[in-house]
Amino acid sequence: MTDLTPLTALRDRDPRSARFGAVTLSEKSDLSLASLYIGAGRTKPHPFGLDLPDIGKISNAKDHSAFWVGPNQWMIERKSPSECDFAAEVKAQAPETAVTEQSDGFVCLELEAPEDAMTALLAKLINLDPHSLTPDTAVHTGLDHMTVFVLRRSVTRLDFIGMRSYADSLWHALATAAARMNNLDT
Amino acid sequence: MSRISGGIINRDAPISFSFNGQNYQAFEGDTLASALLANGVQLVGRSFKYHRPRGILSAGSEEPNALVQLGRGARLEPNARATVTELYEGLTANSQNHIGPLKRDLMAINDLFAPFLSAGFYYKTFMWPRAFWEKLYEPAIRRAAGLGRLSFKPDPDQYDKGFLHCDLLVIGGGAAGLAAALTAGRAGAKVILADEDFHFGGRLLSESYTLGDALALEWVETVLAELNSLPNVRLMPRTTIFGVYDHGIFGAVERVGDHLPTPHKGLRQTLWRITSKQSILAAGAVERHIPFANNDRPGVMLAGAMRAYANRWAVTPVQSARDPIAIFTNGDDGHRTALDLLAKGVELLGVIDTRADAPRFGDYEVFASAKVSDSKGRHGLAAIEITHKGQPKWHKVGALGVSGGWNPNVHLSSHHRGRPIWDDDLLAFVPPKDGPKGLIPAGAAAGRGCTGDALSTGMNAAITALGILGLPAHKISLPETLSEAHKQEAFWHVPATAVDKKRQRKRAWVDFQNDVTVKDIALAHQENMRPVEHLKRWTTLGMATDQGKTANITALAVMAELTGKTIPETGTTIFRPPYTGVSLSVLGGGDIGQNFRPKRLTPTHKWACTRGAVFVEAGQWMRAQYFPKPGETHWRQSVDREALAVRAGVGVCDVTTLGKIDLQGKDATEFLNRIYANMMGTLPLGKVRYGIMLREDGALYDDGTCARLGENHYVVTTTTANAGLVYRKMEFAHQCLWPELDVQIISATDAWAQLAIAGPRSRELLARINDGFDISNEAFPFMSCAELTICQGLSARLFRISFSGELAYEIAVPARYGNALIERLIEIGQDLGATPYGTETLGVLRIEKGHAAGNEITGQTSALMLGLGNMVSKKKDSIGAIMSRRGEMATESKRLVGLRPINPNDPVVAGSHLLKLGSVLSLEHDEGWITSACYSPHVGSAIGLGYLDRGDARIAEHIIAANPLEGQNIRLEVVSPHFIDPEGERLRD
Amino acid sequence: MIIPHPLLGPRDAQEFTYLGDASLMARPDPYSESAEAEFCNYVYLRDNPAGIHRELWFHEQGDRSWLIITRDTLTHEILGAELVSADKLKAGL
Repeated sequence: MTDLTPLTALRDRDPRSARFGAVTLSEKSDLSLASLYIGAGRTKPHPFGLDLPDIGKISNAKDHSAFWVGPNQWMIERKSPSECDFAAEVKAQAPETAVTEQSDGFVCLELEAPEDAMTALLAKLINLDPHSLTPDTAVHTGLDHMTVFVLRRSVTRLDFIGMRSYADSLWHALATAAARMNNLDT
Repeated sequence: MSRISGGIINRDAPISFSFNGQNYQAFEGDTLASALLANGVQLVGRSFKYHRPRGILSAGSEEPNALVQLGRGARLEPNARATVTELYEGLTANSQNHIGPLKRDLMAINDLFAPFLSAGFYYKTFMWPRAFWEKLYEPAIRRAAGLGRLSFKPDPDQYDKGFLHCDLLVIGGGAAGLAAALTAGRAGAKVILADEDFHFGGRLLSESYTLGDALALEWVETVLAELNSLPNVRLMPRTTIFGVYDHGIFGAVERVGDHLPTPHKGLRQTLWRITSKQSILAAGAVERHIPFANNDRPGVMLAGAMRAYANRWAVTPVQSARDPIAIFTNGDDGHRTALDLLAKGVELLGVIDTRADAPRFGDYEVFASAKVSDSKGRHGLAAIEITHKGQPKWHKVGALGVSGGWNPNVHLSSHHRGRPIWDDDLLAFVPPKDGPKGLIPAGAAAGRGCTGDALSTGMNAAITALGILGLPAHKISLPETLSEAHKQEAFWHVPATAVDKKRQRKRAWVDFQNDVTVKDIALAHQENMRPVEHLKRWTTLGMATDQGKTANITALAVMAELTGKTIPETGTTIFRPPYTGVSLSVLGGGDIGQNFRPKRLTPTHKWACTRGAVFVEAGQWMRAQYFPKPGETHWRQSVDREALAVRAGVGVCDVTTLGKIDLQGKDATEFLNRIYANMMGTLPLGKVRYGIMLREDGALYDDGTCARLGENHYVVTTTTANAGLVYRKMEFAHQCLWPELDVQIISATDAWAQLAIAGPRSRELLARINDGFDISNEAFPFMSCAELTICQGLSARLFRISFSGELAYEIAVPARYGNALIERLIEIGQDLGATPYGTETLGVLRIEKGHAAGNEITGQTSALMLGLGNMVSKKKDSIGAIMSRRGEMATESKRLVGLRPINPNDPVVAGSHLLKLGSVLSLEHDEGWITSACYSPHVGSAIGLGYLDRGDARIAEHIIAANPLEGQNIRLEVVSPHFIDPEGERLRD
Repeated sequence: MIIPHPLLGPRDAQEFTYLGDASLMARPDPYSESAEAEFCNYVYLRDNPAGIHRELWFHEQGDRSWLIITRDTLTHEILGAELVSADKLKAGL
């Protein structure tokens, strides 16, 4: 193990978390990510036993999940502990594909809220009908001039995966929306 | 007090407010307008041009007169319409557009100069003498212009934005809108019902009639209760739909906190972008007035507004309850006001009806075939002159209600350029047939204003919309309504009698806010400004904050009368967003200052902060510009020190912001060959090559490096500015031009922290973190790349590339370790002189080395100009290759040169133009320009890079750099652009 | 505007980047005798119809697909939307 100390995307030793009434916002720093790309017309592999999901969907296996990114393109995730050469593991599972390490390319902010609050929050954040974001739906869209993946893990849980360099701005956007909903300061 | 019985106000909840410094009392449910009327305040402001005393004309957002300044301090808000300002405890309002007290406005003198301020006076009066415009006329006009005043302080309130999606948006919550929302709500459609008022019901709140066997208000409350219980219906009171955009997108402002005492916690307004599959325009109608001489006195009010004040707010617009009220009408509608006032026990003079066959619906006097021909009263109405059977006669009144018919509120329906259509029966324009797709007009907005019609057209519009949405639609049971008398005649204004000269001088107002009178329209006609668009600009009709909602059609009718054409032949102007004014604060969406736009932070940001770095915005990135040390008082001291430290020892700079694109696939090599102008196909494994990209027109687009990490795996870098654009362009090339190539393109800019380690001792520094990879010059020469581990097992990528001209490396590690790595490098490299440097030094080093950057690659320059013409390979095709060889580009003679002042103390200024020594300083002698300049601590003077005609053949020549902006003409020597190490030995060492 | 994405359904135009005439997909043969003239047309000459227009849109804040949108420039009505890749397949590429 290296003797360098890593920082989270929000530039701290430990992931950040905050509570706004019934809404919890927390940084998830234990995620491993790699993008997987198959050439047009090739058959889909099954890395880690995953069925690579259809358009706009998430599929889950034991410790891994995958979400659709674009035609012939997915992001493979592994829950903790986070590693920075996850790509090698994915490549071993799907050798015929193009795999790119993305663990450090993104920040993942998790929003937990009751269903009604989640719907109200989404209306302040992204220009998509919240009712179309059913559990196991993944979309890529704009949020405050940034680009984000929005993953509906469950009715009460959403992950916003944005570019790592925008971590502070993404936190600001989500925290502001959550705070305003509760008439609180960020 | 002129409060009467009834009304939808909460008499158990009194509210205190102040107007012009005086404290008053009113009730919850009042608007500022109704509250002022309840306190006997008739005079509320001054008109724009003539500073005439003005009162409240309407009861809605169309109000042209009752504009006030709300709040104080930073919360001062000009031009607020009292008629839609919901009263709250402690509200402070002041009248505007007057000098001195409202009752004795010094600017009222303008009214005496009225003959000089007629239509087109701007164009006529201030044309001569020309020199007076800037010094005299414009400042004077600017001082006089405008109604309210801004606070000139930052807005302290919070604003927000959001997005809503629905099946059906119902605009307006009156009879038609409620019927539509209920029909669609019951059918299960996702419905949004929006109304600008704080209470749903529209005109139903302002009328006295019954629906079925209940009062209108009871029906409204019942429907609202049901709509509230439906989870698929969202009720949005205090929400103005201000614009209709393409494909069912609507702009809306919800006034979330405007009705709460200030300062309050939370939001003031929210800007909503609503996307709706279908929509119903149920925005009602706006009543017209009838211009007559001196019709603008406080106390003259629209008859429908008078009815609304009486029924909803339980007030009459008289200063004393003993003053009688008169009604002037051209149709049956005015009589309804008379009946409602009678029922409330209000003293009534009678109804002046322009029609010969004027009806009478109750126990009041009717003046048939009569007109109101003049009015009196200093600050409020005292008397009106009724011309009846040819005889004028003065009558004392406290207020006059005027009804000239109703204009359907077609505004939103013509936001896509559809022209409203004239309806001869209605004597009004109705929504165009080619209005926004999916927008169905209903109720009064469609010209179907009788309550029964409004309810049924609202329901039917919803049924139509549901059909298009594919949802099952069922009729709802609508309450029974009585038929309402609604006959009217076409009577547009009271003309002055031709014989009486004195009368002819009197003015009849059409547009109250901008002081446009019937005479102004006649003048415009006389001066041939007859098309509506000309009429509007010549007279400023409809150009005030109310956009002429109560004026435009009347003006059109007057113009039609003058030209002898019909109204539809005369035309109509169409409408644009916004429907009513929208504040810039809410359009901003709430994020201001630091958060105005998102920021990107580099992986070493935290460390740079602790080192006291000064940051600079590079696009959205915040980059360390330089790192001042204690005692350094000027940025040049820091930058000179950093630059010298790199050349003497070693420096470290965060270059993460360069775009990094990962390319894989068996055709990746071929793809890169087509993207880059130079040959990439021959790049061996483990090597890096500098590359240039062209635009298809042959101009230079971007430069960077391409590293081959595997047989079919490359990482390319782009400039910071073009990272996103190059990625997009590659996707275009792959998907649109060469989909047959097997290549996968992924951006990985943020995944890696990339540090430049530059300087003669960089290898030594690198060795201290290296886990054992052979980085000797032999094993890892210039332009090598490799994957290795550092700091005991951390995977990293190492590139031996240089932007400074020194022996240099760039090392990439997973972003999370970037901060610790730079900290480690500076710490363990102390004895080597390891120095962090920022973008400023980066710039100095690259100018000293003659490397091109954004200043040189401007989109108008070519590879040839950079001296890289040979790089554009002729052996293969690539984007831009063909066009780069065409005549104009191939014969371009400008070349990049280095420039040094003859006198080392002279400045070199980027943007200066280059000319031959001794030539006249004019454009035809221009030979080029300076692209980049800096102070070079290495050279000991300012230096520059620039493009110069035949520059490569003019080394050692002396030329002139002209900077006419600052009157500088500096003598420069043309030198090689490589101020250091022209042979490139250092970077290969 | 709303762009009817062939894979993702209706999406707000703000997620997209507009490029222009779909003829930009037809890059001339660089090895043709008259390549320079053909490239000159390709780069500089485009129809600007008042009416039906086939044009390229990039779903930049989305799935990064390039789309061909058929739009009436007079009304903004969108008459068709397909993936560039589907169009290329049809053309036998």
